[in-house]
Parts: sequence; structure tokens; C-alpha cells
Amino acid sequence: MTEHARFGKSQVRVEDQRFLTGQGRYIDDVNRPKQKHAAFVRSPHAHARVVTMDVSAARALPGVALIVTGAEWAARGFGPLPCRSPSKVNRDGTPFKEPTRHCLASDTVRYVGEPVAMVVAGTADEARRAADAVIVEYAELASVTDRAAALGDDAAQLWPEVPNNLCLDFEQGNRAAVEAAMATAKHVVRLDMGNNRLTAVPMEPRGAIADFDAATGQYTLVNCSQNIHANRDLMASMLKIDKAKLHHLAPDIGGGFGAKNSVYSEPVVMLYAASKVGCPIKWIADRTEAFLSDTHGRDQQSTVTLALDEHGKFLALHVDTVGNVGAACGTMGPFTPTGGTARTTGSVYAIPAILYTSKAVFTNTVQTDPYRGAGRPEAVFHVERIVEFAARTLGIDPVALRRQNLIKTEQLPYKTAVGLEIDCGDFPAVMERVLAMSDRPGYAARVATSRAKGLRRGFAVTPYLETSGGAPHEEARLAFRADGTVVLSVGTHSTGMGHETALAQIAADTLGIDLTRIRFVQADTDATSIGGGHGGSRGIEVGGSAVLKVARMVIEKARGIAAHLLNSHVDDITFKAGVLSDTKTGQSVALDAVIAAAGDTSRLPQDMSAGALDTTAKFERETYTVPNGAHACEVEVDPETGVIAVDKFWCVDDFGSVINPMLADGQVMGGIVQGLGQALLEEVVYDPQTGQLLTASLLEYALPRADHVPRMEIAFFEGAPTKRNPLGAKGSGEAGCCGATPVIVNAVLDALHEYGVRHIEMPLTSEKVWSAITGASA
Amino acid sequence: MDTFTFKRAASVAEAVAAATAGVDAKFLAGGQTLLPVMKQGLAAPSDLVSLARVAAMQGIGVNGGMISIGAMMRHADVAAHGEIKALLPALSVLAGGIADPHVRNRGTIGGSLANNDPAADYPAAVLGLGATVVTDRRRIAADDFFQGMFTTALEAGELITRVEFPVPERAGYIKFPHPASRYALVGVMASKSAQGVRVAVTGAGACVFRATALEQALAKSFTPGALDGVAVGADDLTSDRAGSASYRAHLITVLAKRAVARALEVRS
Amino acid sequence: MTELSMTVNGVVRRAAAAPTVLLSTFLRESLKLTGTHVGCDTSQCGACTVIVDGRSIKSCTMLAVEADGAAITTIEGVAKSDGTLHPVQEAFRAHHALQCGFCTPGMVMASVALLAHTPNPTDAQVRHGLEGNMCRCTGYQNIVDAVLAASQSMKGA
Ligand SMILES: Cc1cc2nc3c(=O)[nH]c(=O)nc-3n(C[C@H](O)[C@H](O)[C@H](O)COP(=O)(O)OP(=O)(O)OC[C@H]3O[C@@H](n4cnc5c(N)ncnc54)[C@H](O)[C@@H]3O)c2cc1C
Ligand code: FES
Ligand code: FES
Repeated sequence: MTEHARFGKSQVRVEDQRFLTGQGRYIDDVNRPKQKHAAFVRSPHAHARVVTMDVSAARALPGVALIVTGAEWAARGFGPLPCRSPSKVNRDGTPFKEPTRHCLASDTVRYVGEPVAMVVAGTADEARRAADAVIVEYAELASVTDRAAALGDDAAQLWPEVPNNLCLDFEQGNRAAVEAAMATAKHVVRLDMGNNRLTAVPMEPRGAIADFDAATGQYTLVNCSQNIHANRDLMASMLKIDKAKLHHLAPDIGGGFGAKNSVYSEPVVMLYAASKVGCPIKWIADRTEAFLSDTHGRDQQSTVTLALDEHGKFLALHVDTVGNVGAACGTMGPFTPTGGTARTTGSVYAIPAILYTSKAVFTNTVQTDPYRGAGRPEAVFHVERIVEFAARTLGIDPVALRRQNLIKTEQLPYKTAVGLEIDCGDFPAVMERVLAMSDRPGYAARVATSRAKGLRRGFAVTPYLETSGGAPHEEARLAFRADGTVVLSVGTHSTGMGHETALAQIAADTLGIDLTRIRFVQADTDATSIGGGHGGSRGIEVGGSAVLKVARMVIEKARGIAAHLLNSHVDDITFKAGVLSDTKTGQSVALDAVIAAAGDTSRLPQDMSAGALDTTAKFERETYTVPNGAHACEVEVDPETGVIAVDKFWCVDDFGSVINPMLADGQVMGGIVQGLGQALLEEVVYDPQTGQLLTASLLEYALPRADHVPRMEIAFFEGAPTKRNPLGAKGSGEAGCCGATPVIVNAVLDALHEYGVRHIEMPLTSEKVWSAITGASA
Repeated sequence: MDTFTFKRAASVAEAVAAATAGVDAKFLAGGQTLLPVMKQGLAAPSDLVSLARVAAMQGIGVNGGMISIGAMMRHADVAAHGEIKALLPALSVLAGGIADPHVRNRGTIGGSLANNDPAADYPAAVLGLGATVVTDRRRIAADDFFQGMFTTALEAGELITRVEFPVPERAGYIKFPHPASRYALVGVMASKSAQGVRVAVTGAGACVFRATALEQALAKSFTPGALDGVAVGADDLTSDRAGSASYRAHLITVLAKRAVARALEVRS
Repeated sequence: MTELSMTVNGVVRRAAAAPTVLLSTFLRESLKLTGTHVGCDTSQCGACTVIVDGRSIKSCTMLAVEADGAAITTIEGVAKSDGTLHPVQEAFRAHHALQCGFCTPGMVMASVALLAHTPNPTDAQVRHGLEGNMCRCTGYQNIVDAVLAASQSMKGA
């Protein structure tokens, strides 16, 4: 593709009107006449055999319509929850372990919160009370929740067919070259580091309404899900029904960040129950249930080794990881800690040899699945921590060490040692720009001011690179209504990213019509035949490209109609600013007139009939794009208490062409703050003895609040648009959390350098910082 | 939530009578502790007696060296009160640092004290300032009021009506919030008055307590420097994921120094 | 069940409710005002923030019976009846202070209440004032900017 379409305008969002006035329609705002409510009976144990289940008392309670038990579910022969991990093969060529996980456990429970039965009753309260009245007798088994401990020979075994709880033993890269370089390099530095277990905590908990029409055999699921099309197909196959018989759609979604991507048990059991009780069934998770049952993310432990020559040039990198996948495979199974992290290992650095080895393990915890970034933040963290550590160990300036080893522009396109093909970018320019923004000349004075207050100031810069991900294909459809409305239907799914504006902007700008005329439809299996949903920052890149394609196809058709109306030849018709003109005769016709004509077969060319302008396009990207950037920050640490304040934050992102800078800014800032959360605050903790979830509420799981967050200055580098899609765009949704986590950790360690502190595991809580200082100086 | 009978009391006597009549009646003040607990099913009172309309429990009065606060005064009322800001700014700061604005608009001083959460702020004020808890039947000195985790000197059906704070010469409060809940991981109130020095610590143990070692050091010289090298024992302190006992012990001294510094900055 | 009466967004509304009913449930289910959201069960997130008799409160942590006779403003009542947005809503839109919109009703109500008693807040005061409201999407900066901008635009009004 040669020319890039340009849409760089900070258009305020059309969806905001409804969100700002309380007219948004989220899952809990959707109600169906005669609906009943579901509640789930969940395991109170990390690991136990289900000995007996007695539902008689529950069944006798007021309002109870149906109880579905794990045993009944098993007897019905429904399919298990599927795993679609792209990484499936062990390093020895054997397949990975995918134990069978059913929507309701029947014989063994493997994590606290695993559903074992569902109750349907007249009200949510009745359903809850009945669920509490289901008596389950469990025989407790030993449990293991820690990723590293799970591999031990004496660790509890979750699945008889999975020795040492090892799901996937993964390897990517060049082992021989890495081993050779490590053996001979002048310097080899090694550091153990964890990526703390996180949970996405979208502010809206999950929920769904399932319905069944006995007359037609049609199921309908209104679902708080970000993956409408793919999950429709998977759920239909689990229920053993034709996918055309399942209409799956989403209302407004209150955030997802990955936690609403997976196929979950609850809606599947609800669909079955709806067919049994003959009325709609609603379920809304409460926050505690969300903490227990939403997929978690990260939870990796890695040993990172970097080999350098005598001049500080990087020779080889080895990352060896243990990743916790939870009690069984989630929808993406072992992918995140294996292939998902491997892909961008090495990041923006020219490293001739890279090896990524990883063991994905089962533990008595809820499934992990992609959470914002899904492996890419981990990969950036690994390399940025080891580079910082190497610089400190070898006494080299960390900025200079990075500068020296960045992939240079003249090396592009560049294929990394783990096979990532970087098409474009300018990593040195991006890093220099963020350094220029961050007022290095004023730094010494700020350090002194902090010190005078008894505080220690630290600084770090970390470049990052990631790849957009998600499904490669997308569909967009434009339909023209008689009242002038243009219906744009897409298979992507915005859960707050503003597609209703950004994608409509692309269509409106291309067609030269007013944005207000576009009616936006997404996340509905009736509206588009395929849809990749949300995930991997794919919305603009893939969805936007599909929209651009469909709009251009409409213009092509419009030229044909215009030629017919003007008695011209189609080759002479040009389109500009909403007007189609004959370059020879100078005659013209407005697109709106063409739209009107398209509704009337008599005014159309022979080969067209009414509705001719309505068009569907499919777009398939060739390969993912490589968003990148650099973050810099300054922190202040109170050495007396260990309290960290992130004081300043700068960031430069290369997202190629930016469609709507205001929306991209928003994505970046949200990502940075989630990255800050990982660095300083957030951690899902299971009790190592009992396997109980200790962070099951917002009283225990620390989310960033407004006063944790520094002022962020964000700039875009637009000097290197990608040619991998017609927009020149590189996905922006996950970049923030890739750079923020390591830059904050590195800045804190810079502040603590004088105390001899070289590493602290995340989250960097005040006590850990204080102990590191006192421990190091003791 | 399990069902209960809702009663609205118009006077102290009515409230106490209603509370005594129910099998397991509870007063409802701001509900900022009681309702979350009931929502979780951890409490299921038979009757809730709303105190919202009891006039005697309202209002803030300043009389000579004494500030009298009605038990139903919301944290926001105390934080914003002009005379308290002028006479006892440490108390305004403390009240203004409880929870968040919405909780402060509902939660009351009486509810907080009756509840005696080990991580609550007001107990540090009452104990650290030597206040008196006034109930429907008696006056209870701060030193006698707090008896243990969620336990006070209150008898069944006894109603806190007011709290009286003597105005000290100097006082300062510093809170170190829990990263998630924002209750006090440790909170220290330090004050100096004609009656002596008081240092009350909340958050660190099962119940608010006076740090006598710190008080003794400060009695000699009410300055941050007087606490140099004065350690608080970690033995009886709380250890949890948010902070070990030794970290809490360390924080007590650090925060006490800062509370004293704050007390010296502003005249109480 | 008790018959409750309150002035909600300027209109007297009556409905019966059991004593256990929370104000958030009453607004959402009895009055069908679903703009007030529920995001947690421990009174932390602030998505349910509404204004009762001039004070912002968490409607998930107040009994509906306790609001009997009160004047309540919810997100549905912030704009003028002709649809003109409140300066806070306007500023949220202009500053892209919302993404998924789930926290937004609570954020807007908290901001309206904040500006009512602190008309000229500093950046830090806004952040402190929004302590009871969590947002997972925006990173807060645009919300803070929106509140600061609204404080300016409300001066003219
Ligand atoms: C999100 C959140 C954060 C919070 N953060 C903090 C914090 O940082 N610091 C802090 O200190 N607190 C905090 N709290 C608690 C808050 O301050 C409560 O308001 C307070 O602890 C209880 O006061 P209340 O008026 O709400 O009492 P209620 O919840 O109504 O009652 C609490 C208990 O006291 C009894 N009671 C109430 N009034 C009286 C009375 N006058 N006489 C006798 N008994 C009575 C009740 O029967 C009940 O048992 C927080 C609460 C929430 C929801
Ligand atoms: S719903 Fe979370 S505070 Fe009310
Ligand atoms: S906009 Fe999504 S939680 Fe705030």
C-alpha cells in the first residue's frame, strides 16, 4: 500500500453523551420480562474431592426454579471449556497437557471459587440464599498455589495425567548460540525477578442474560464479554448446538482489559438452564465473585541472563520462566507465559542470540489468561530490569548502555533472534525525545530539593516495544438508510476505547459525511458474520482498516452510480469532499444524491438494484504491527518509611499514524496507571497454606487511585507509519503498561542506589523498600 | 441482607428503649461500618434503630477549654468546623483523613468509637487527647473506654451521645494509610497539655493504645528529637500482609516524630 | 414494606421498599434510574455516588428508608431539563475524562459535590477529593483536568 489515509483529529466522543447522562446500557441495566436470576455455588476449598452434594434443602426454598449440579452437567455430556493456546508443543515435540475442565466441577474442585452448581430462582436474593443452602461435602486435598513450588516433586498434584503440574515446557530461540555466547562473554549478569499476579478489575463486574425461544430453538445471550463472535462459536460447540442458533451480543461494557475475553462457565450453564426453565436468566457477579472467578494475569517467575562484551555490547539474552496458568487451561491456556512472552523478548535491542525457555504450570488458583499486554509487558520488564542491573553491576551509565544497544534505524527492517519482524520505527529518536522532554538539566536541582526534605529522588528511562495482537481478520459493513443514517457495523469491540467515535470517524471522513449521521453497531453476531472482538490493541489497526476498506468500496460503487446518473464514464468520475464529479464535463453529483438513488432500482445501472451501496468488507492483516516508545519517570522515596511517590512521568509513543490523539492519549494514560499498579500496589495473593484468596475485595487488593498518579506528559512520534495496514496505525491499547512498570521500578532502584539496594520484587510496597534499605545498610 | 425492623428514634430515651426492646437490636448511625458488615452477612440484627433524628446527638459546642461533639456528627462536619480548625487542628486533620468524602458525609464519631475498629482513626484522637465519652447513662474516660479489638466499655444498649475533647496546648496526628483500604496501617496522635503528654497509636495493634515509652521521652522534651533512638516493642503488634509487626513498630516512632513536628508547627 | 417519598432530580417520587433495600437498589430498580452503578460490595469504588441533601454519599451504603424525605440528585438529574449538560459533564466530554463510562456517573457526582464546597480546587485537592472514586480506564489525569476546567467555566456562570 502506498498512500496512508490521515485522520488525526481529536474528535470528542459521540458515546460520551449517553455515558455522561446515565443513559449507558450496561449488562445490569438490561432486563427481560419474566426473567429469573442465577447464583453459583462455588468451592470454598483450594483443592478437594466433592464427596456428596445435597440440593434438597435449597430446592425447597422460595422461588427456586432449577438447580444444575456438576454431576448433572457431566451427565448431559456437554463439551469442556476449550483452550485455544497458539503455543501447544513442548520443546521435545510432544503436545502440551490440556486437562478437561467442565463448566461445573463434579468430582474434584481445584481452586477457591470454582463453580460446582448453579441455582435459578425468582430474585437474585432468593437465588443467593438457595445457593448458600446447597450442602456440599468436600474431602480436602493438599494444595499448591505458588508457581515455583508447583513443579516440585512433593507438591500437590492437580491432575493425575499431568506430572509435576507441568502444562507446557516451552522453548523458542537459539539455544546453541546463546549457550556459546554465555560461555565466552566477558560479562554475564543474571537476575531473578517476578511478575506479580494481577487481576484486571474492570469497574463493571461480569454478568449475562441468557434466553431461549422454544418455538424456534434460538438461544440469545446478552453478555458482558469482549469476544462475541469467537466465544459464540466456542459456546455453541460446548452446548452442541449449531452456532447459527446462538445469537450473542454485548451491551455497553464497563471495561475489560482482558478479563472479559475468555469463555467463562457461567453464561454457558445459564444458556442450558434457560432452555430448561423457559424464561430468561440473569446473573451479575458481585465484586467478591469477580475477584474469585475473573481470570488473573501475569504471575511469572523468571531468571534473566544477559551476556555483554567488554564494551558493553549485548551478545546474548536468556529468559527462563515459570508461569502460573491456574488450575486448568483458560481460553488462551499456557500461551501468555510461553509464546506470548517469547515473541517480544529482547525488545528494542540488537541482541544477536536470544533464548526463551518457560514452564507453564498448573496450581490451585483461578485460570490466568491475557491481561492487558499478555506477555509483552513481562518481556519488556525482563530486558529492562536486566539492562539496568547490568549497567549498575558494570558501572556503566544506564542511559548510555541502552543507547549503545538499541536497534538502529538503518538496521530496519530487523528480524529479532526470536523471529519478530520489526518493519519500521526509530528507537533512538524516540528515546532521545523522551530524554529531551524530561528536563535532564534541571534534574540535579530536583535531587537536591528532595534530599533537603529527607527524600531520595531517582530517574529512569526505558524504551519498550510490543506487538499488537488479537485475531487478524475483521469485518465492517456500511448500510444506508432512507432517513440519511449510515449504519456502520463492525466485528471489533470497544469496551471504553472509543471506537464508536474513532471507527465512525474513519468512515465519516472517507465518505465526507458528518459524523453524527453514523449509527454504530458492534459486538453482535447478527450484525457482522465474523468479528475479532477486543484484544491485542487490534481495534483501530484491524477494525479501522476494515472500515477504511468498506468505505473505499462504497466510494467505488458510488462512482459507478454517479457515472450512470451523469451519463459519464466511470473512469472520469472522481470523489472529493462528498462530491462525485466528472473531470471531463465538470458535472457533479453529491454523494447524498447517489445514496438516495441507490435506494431506487430504477435510477441505478442495470447490474445494480436497490440497496446497492450497502457493502461488507473483510480485512485481514498480513502480520502484526510493532508499536514502541520510551517512558521516563522520576520518583521520590522516603527512606524512613519506604513510601514511594511517582513524581513525574514522560512518554513518547510510536503508534504510527494516530487516528484520534485524544483517544490514544487516554489509552496510554490508562495503561501507564495499570503499569504503576503492577509496580507499586497490586498483587493477587493466595494463602500458601490454605490456598484461600486473601485479596478478594477492594479492601485488600490495592487499585491505583487519583492521588497515586503523577501528571503524565505524552507525545507521539509519527515519523514511522507502518505499511502493514492502510491506516499506518500500530495498536495503542497496551503500550502504557509495557513501559510504565519497568521504568518505575528502575527509577526507585536508582533512588536507592546509594543504599546498595539492587533489586526489589514487585509490588514495591513501602515495607519492602524499607526492609531493603535497612537490610542493605545493616 | 437479612430482614430487620427499622425504627427511627426521636430522642436518646427512645433510642435506648428501642434498642433494649429488640432481641438483637443495633443502633444505626452513619451505617458506614454496619451496612457493609450486614451486606456481607456478618451481622444480622433484629432491629435497626436509626439515630439520625436524635437532636441531643447533634451539634458541636465549644465552651472554654472543651469541645463537645454530638455523637451523630459526621466526619465531614468535624473536619470542616471552623472553631475546631482553630483550636484543635489535629482533630480536623484526623476527621478529614478518614476514608473518602462520601464516607465522611455519612460516618459519625459515635459510630466509629462504638465500633472501635483496630485501624480506625477516631480512637487515636479520643485516647491521644484524653477525651471523655458521654453516654445516655455515664461519662467514660478515654483510658477506660477502649478495651480490645472491636470491644469497648459500652454496655448492651448503651448509647454514646457526645464526646468531649479538652483543648491541649499542642497536638498533631499523622496517619499512614493501608494501601488498599486506606484505614490506618498506623496512626499516631501526640499531644501535650497541662495534664501531660499523650501518644496514642491506632492501626498497629488489636486496639488503640498509648505508647508509654514515647510519652516518657516526650514528657522530658516535646520535640521530635526527643524520640531519637526510642523504639517501640513489636511483640504485641499486628503482623499482616500490609505490614509486619517490626515495620509497624518502626513506623510508630517515625510517625510520632512527625506528629510532634506537626504539633509544633501549628498552635493547637 | 414502607412507602417512601423523596425528591429525586427535582421530582417527587414515591415507591414502597423493604427496610433492607439499599438506596442504590431503590434508585436502580424501583425508580429505574440505572445511571447509578454498583461496582463493588465493600463500599470502596464510588460508582454509586449520588448527592443526598447536598452531600455526596455512596448509595450502596445507605438504606433507602434513611433517604425518606430527602432531596436526591443522580447522574440523570445533573444536566438541565432542556438537555444542556452541566459544566462538569461538558468538561468530562471535552477532556476525554471517561472511557468505558462505568465509573463516570459516580465521578461526575463526586466532582459536582467537590466543586460545590471547593470552587477553586488545586490539582492535589481534586485528587484527594476523588479518593472515594475508582477508575480503571483513564488513569485519572483527564478526570482531574476536567474538574479543574469545570471549576473555571463555572465561575463565569
Ligand atoms: C470505604 C470506607 C472507608 C473507611 N475508612 C476509614 C478510615 O480510614 N478510618 C476510619 O476511622 N474509619 C473508616 N471507615 C469507617 C467509618 O469511619 C465509619 O463511619 C465508622 O467507623 C462507623 O461510623 P458510622 O456512623 O458509620 O456507624 P455505623 O456503621 O452506623 O455503626 C457502627 C457500630 O456502632 C454502633 N453505634 C453507632 N452509633 C452509636 C452510638 N452513638 N452509640 C453506641 N453505639 C453506636 C452501631 O450499632 C454499630 O454497631 C471507612 C468506612 C468505609 C465504608
Ligand atoms: S458500589 Fe462500590 S462504593 Fe458503592
Ligand atoms: S471510565 Fe472506565 S472505569 Fe472509569
